[in-house]
Amino acid sequence: MTAQIILFWLFAFLTCAGAILVAVSQNVVRMAFSLVLTLGSTAVLFLLLGADFVGATQLLVYVGGTLVLLVFGVMLTATGPFTRIKSSPADAILSGLIGVVFLFIVASTVTAVDWDGGNGVAQKIAMGTHAKAVEGGFNPTQQGNTTRPLGLSFLSLRADRDLKLGLPKELSGEINTAPVVPGMAAATPGTTLLPKTSALLSTGYLLPFEIVSVHLLVVLVGAAYLARTKRRATT
Amino acid sequence: MQAIGPSPFLFIGAVLFVCGVICMTTKRNGIGILMGVELVLNAANLNFITFSRFTPLGLDGQVFSLFVIVLAAAEAAVALAIALNFYNNHLTIDVDRGDELHG
Amino acid sequence: MESLGNTLANLLTIAWLLPLFGFVVQILFALRWWGRKSKTAAYLAIFCIGAGFVCSSTAFYLWGEGTDWAVFKPSEHGHVEQADAGGADHATAGRDDPEHKITSHESEKQAVFAGPLYTLATFGNLHVSLDYYIDSLTLAMFVMVTLIATCIHIFATGYMAEELVDDYVDHQVHTHDGGHFHRPGRFYKFFSYMSLFCFAMLGLVLAGNIFQVFIFWELVGICSYLLIGFYVERHSASTAANKAFIVNRVGDFGFIIGLMILWTSFGTFSFADQHGTNGKVQPGLFSMARGHDGELTKTADGKTVVLKTEQDGHGHWEAPAEPSHQKTITYTLLIVAGLGVFGGCVGKSAQFPLQTWLPDAMEGPTPVSALVHSATMVAAGVYLAGRFYPMFVPEVLLTIAYVGCITAFVGATIAIVATDIKKVLAYSTISQLGYMMLGLGVGGWGAGLFHLITHACFKSLMFLCSGSVIAGCHHEQEMTKMGGLLRKMPITALTMLAGVIAIAGLAIPGTSIAFSGYHSKDAILATALAYTKLNPIHFLLFVVPLLTAGITSFYMFRLWFYTFLGKPRDQHLHEHVHESPWEMTGPLLLLAVLAAGCAIGGEDGRLFKMLTFSEPVGVGHGVDGAAAHTVSLPGHAAVHESHSTAGSAALLAAFIGMSISYLVYGKGVINPADIKRQAASVHAFLANKWGFDDLYDVMFVKPAHVVAKFAAAIDKFVFDEILHTFVRMGIAVSKWDRKFDEGVIDGIVNLMGNSTYSLGISLRNVQTGKIRQYVTFIAVSVVTLFVLLFALYPKG
Repeated sequence: MTAQIILFWLFAFLTCAGAILVAVSQNVVRMAFSLVLTLGSTAVLFLLLGADFVGATQLLVYVGGTLVLLVFGVMLTATGPFTRIKSSPADAILSGLIGVVFLFIVASTVTAVDWDGGNGVAQKIAMGTHAKAVEGGFNPTQQGNTTRPLGLSFLSLRADRDLKLGLPKELSGEINTAPVVPGMAAATPGTTLLPKTSALLSTGYLLPFEIVSVHLLVVLVGAAYLARTKRRATT
Repeated sequence: MQAIGPSPFLFIGAVLFVCGVICMTTKRNGIGILMGVELVLNAANLNFITFSRFTPLGLDGQVFSLFVIVLAAAEAAVALAIALNFYNNHLTIDVDRGDELHG
Repeated sequence: MESLGNTLANLLTIAWLLPLFGFVVQILFALRWWGRKSKTAAYLAIFCIGAGFVCSSTAFYLWGEGTDWAVFKPSEHGHVEQADAGGADHATAGRDDPEHKITSHESEKQAVFAGPLYTLATFGNLHVSLDYYIDSLTLAMFVMVTLIATCIHIFATGYMAEELVDDYVDHQVHTHDGGHFHRPGRFYKFFSYMSLFCFAMLGLVLAGNIFQVFIFWELVGICSYLLIGFYVERHSASTAANKAFIVNRVGDFGFIIGLMILWTSFGTFSFADQHGTNGKVQPGLFSMARGHDGELTKTADGKTVVLKTEQDGHGHWEAPAEPSHQKTITYTLLIVAGLGVFGGCVGKSAQFPLQTWLPDAMEGPTPVSALVHSATMVAAGVYLAGRFYPMFVPEVLLTIAYVGCITAFVGATIAIVATDIKKVLAYSTISQLGYMMLGLGVGGWGAGLFHLITHACFKSLMFLCSGSVIAGCHHEQEMTKMGGLLRKMPITALTMLAGVIAIAGLAIPGTSIAFSGYHSKDAILATALAYTKLNPIHFLLFVVPLLTAGITSFYMFRLWFYTFLGKPRDQHLHEHVHESPWEMTGPLLLLAVLAAGCAIGGEDGRLFKMLTFSEPVGVGHGVDGAAAHTVSLPGHAAVHESHSTAGSAALLAAFIGMSISYLVYGKGVINPADIKRQAASVHAFLANKWGFDDLYDVMFVKPAHVVAKFAAAIDKFVFDEILHTFVRMGIAVSKWDRKFDEGVIDGIVNLMGNSTYSLGISLRNVQTGKIRQYVTFIAVSVVTLFVLLFALYPKG
């Protein structure tokens, strides 16, 4: 627990520092490096939040893929005098002012809300003392076991909801008890949530998954088409 | 000691977001603006994961963050292609030069 | 008897309505079904009128059977009486009184059939209806009209054949560019008009009341208008059609006045007695006026006529003895009514002074001239005068006689100098119609109508012959360019000769072997002579017709010699002349036979007997006018006495006329040009048609023009000015309206547009095209929104 806290604060600092460096730096190469730092630290934060698969994906796709792409972009464009393109100080001051106000607003919002919803569940989950936290398995802190539920959800099966028994009573009232089909009696909280009909199954993500697949294909083709060398501007 | 609740994570997300916005408003380099966008997206991701952890949002938050990552990658690819085209046409990556559509 | 009446009515109604059916089909469907180049429309018209002829003949036969052919039995009729010297003897006269035969049921069968066909309207006791009135005159007219119309229809299929084209060139109409007028052929239209005319004419003859006569009177008028103006593009044709129509209106004005007087005084239009539904019998016009003995019942002072509205025990109509039951009409009013109706006849039959339209009517196609303007429609005036004879008092008859006499003489004299072949025939027609009127006027009821029938035969024949000549000469109508056509057109020439002999009234001296015209003209002259013997002061009524008979003979032979004998005057024309095809010569031959033989036997012949069978009461025995201080009318006996004298005189006149004509035009002994030069003023006067057209021009047309100009001036300077003022006011209002529109309405719209435009211009500066700036805007906006949210959102 202590280690977790230390790790959190460490990577929280790294994340913020990297982000600020990205914002402040005038050199695009340095910005790229700072971004690597920020995104990597964020991945660690994800892991700390029990999202092991997302954290891994962040590292692989973002840091390993997207950022490399950006660095390639920097390399292709940052030739000679254009490596450093300075912003005017007025811009910086104005943006900083807006940023500070924005930050203030968001921060005040964050602190103004009671995230526990009054029953202390969030705190219990954070402490790992929640009775069903491990058994329920929807956000285990010790083991990264989200891979299988995620995969199943992409196949439209909600292992965390429909296939598990005995969700936390505190949560069960908010999950899937509303009648999906009008006129059907609402499921009684705390009882078996195995659906009597398939109409009560929770929604999976098969269709968005497929859409995103096709989207990626289209992007691949579109990017290749756009990046093709055409006539240079006549200057 | 008390465990770390959602607020610190959300605060970090806020910082990332604000830095991304500042990035977008100050950088004249096209790639820099892209980086700002990546920061903003990351801020959103961090919020998703946080709420996935601490609220009944559950696995849905992680699924959405995955979609965001994938779409951010796609966006980066297309944006980079656009940036290269811009560079080809203007011989610079300075976005202030690309104001042909001004009123 | 009822069934015979119904059968006759049905047959004649069929004959009457068939042409109407033909007309409707032709005018509506001929073009669609058969096209312009088909003769089917003509065949349909011929079928309709031919079937009408068959129906009429059948009706005539049935009528004869139904009356045991009493009409032809010599012992029952007039000539018995001629043995009786005392023509005015009432006792004997009553025996052969046709009206007597109808009403008494003792010995004779019914010969007159009348009844309603269709009631148009009822006003209290007054009925306006379509009736039929069938007697021997009706039947004779039906047979004559349908037969002649059939012949003319057949002739017209040949004569009008040049209209069977899609593009007819009218060589008499010149367009502005010097060419000729082109139009689609109107073959089917000609025959549809002809069918309509036949319908109207037969309806007129069948009519059982004077109002119905008036309806069909106007219908034949409109048909005449349409047919005269058939070549409507020719200015002369359209003018002639208008002239005919307008002149007829003058006569019809009198007709309407007569109708109104009759309607007011008698309360009925019907000729015959009407059998009401309640068994009561309403007296017709004739019964009311004349009763059974043909005498008017006058009051003591002689100024009022009492109508005979009550039946005595024998069914005879008598004037009520009780003054309170009496229905009366003043004698003057009766004269006016008679003159009014006769006015209609004057217009329709082209009598003096309304004769001017008939020569112009020759602008129509020749078959039209033959059917409408010689044989039937113009004779309708004579027919009506005959039909209405019982209503005419002696004063009216005297007027009729003088009008007829003048017309006959005027027409004949103009015909002498006319050179257009159709014009000669037209003036001849006027002259002969005058004869008929004269015959009626002097008391020769049978003689006048006799001449009507014979004239229809030979005049339609001559018109068709002239049509054949015109067609053969390629539409050349001037006789001065013809001559020597006998060889080229033998059938036409010989049939024409038959007609000429008929109209001239030639006969083999000492016998009664002659063509039809001799007999009828002889009958008229005999009556006229008898009349002048009774009324010596009116001697002109015999002398002038006798003179006219000679002139007639002269100018008709002049026409024939001019056209068919002598040397060709126009060699070029002569070479192209050809005889007409069979469908034109066939009718000529048939009509020639009719013209020669229809009156065979003269006044002992069947035709004359047939007509006089329907003679009104009281004609047979004449009227002794001495007591009443008025003219006397001769009876049959008096006429018979004068017969041989008049006949010889007429024959002599005719031979003299023919001889002079032969000397001048046939033999060439006397040069007509010399005569023309010596009597130049007379010739000019005659060629100018006695100046009637000029007179009417000065009397009516010019004043009408003056009035019209005055009216036009009023229109122009008063009404137009008022209108202009309104218009100016409208313009002024519009101008203000325009200013308002431009200033206020447009101003508002422009203001909105301009403000929008300037707003857009100013907002345009915001669109810098710089991405970073847009992002900044977004950020600032979000911040602002949040601030607003916090500041304004209600706490708690």
